[in-house]
Amino acid sequence: MSSVLRGIWDNAYGLLVDDGQLAVGAIAALIVTWFVAQSGALRENAGWLLLILVLALVVANLYRAGRNARRQVA
Amino acid sequence: MDLMSLAIAATPAFIASAVEFVEATTIVLAVGITRGWRAPLAGTALAVLTLAVIVAALGVALVTVVPEHLLLGIVGTLLLLFGLRWLRKAILRFAGIVAVHDEEEIYRREVAELRAQGLSRAKFDWVGLVVAYKATLLEGIEVAFIVIAFGAKGVAAMNAAIVGAVAAGVIVVALAAVLRSPLTAVPENWMKFGVGAMLSSFGIFWFGEGIGAKWPGDALSIPIILATFLVASWLSVRLLVSLVPQGARLEARHV
Repeated sequence: MSSVLRGIWDNAYGLLVDDGQLAVGAIAALIVTWFVAQSGALRENAGWLLLILVLALVVANLYRAGRNARRQVA
Repeated sequence: MDLMSLAIAATPAFIASAVEFVEATTIVLAVGITRGWRAPLAGTALAVLTLAVIVAALGVALVTVVPEHLLLGIVGTLLLLFGLRWLRKAILRFAGIVAVHDEEEIYRREVAELRAQGLSRAKFDWVGLVVAYKATLLEGIEVAFIVIAFGAKGVAAMNAAIVGAVAAGVIVVALAAVLRSPLTAVPENWMKFGVGAMLSSFGIFWFGEGIGAKWPGDALSIPIILATFLVASWLSVRLLVSLVPQGARLEARHV
């Protein structure tokens, strides 16, 4: 039974997460955006804030991946 | 529900499902050609039935039980995570840092493994059934996820997403049946790249709606978000190519 549950968990995790740092970063961006929207200050523009955070995250994550790859080649 | 909303549900479901069906078809084809068609077709039919139950149970529960704002938040989060995963991998493949998905190679490997296991003509081929069931179910879960996510806005959207996914399945299976070889000509990385950007854009749009953000022109903001993703992705590919110019010769998989 535990191996079946483990298999289901592995599949569900693999469906959403390829790179742990990117996934954690995306969730952090969602939480930050949610807090900002709740505070009311940027509520109407919270969507654009999320877009900026996610784009910065993606570029930073890929840059890190590129640097890791370069280190492996060197 | 207007035509645009239906297209919004059907189009990404169609493209994403086509990618997954190509991958599942490669395995089913390998089983069918090496071990006969009865068992893999039975395995595929069982997997499709399992997926239909998953979509019906989860889809109906989501649409009818969860309040709309919470639903948008949940679906937005899942789409964003799922979309970023595809987008990242596609960008790394374009930059040559991760190897491109090779259907021909996967097909050859699968055929060799299945031949090595041997086959008794007297008994039902359980190995063939299990391999086909597993492949179809694993790839199909991603299809089910996308259908549920895009169909979560209501019954009409769910129907549109299902139609998109089924249409992709019919086309891919028909092509594979005619060609009797893996569909290597399908531009898989381009499709994953496009779908990854689309899913991420919808994820941001719906999460924003879920927390009460206002989008200028409502759904008309989606193409702007998508264009921003595409530009950032293109810049990322350029950045990676300049960072690792020898990327195409690289065998690094875990970056």
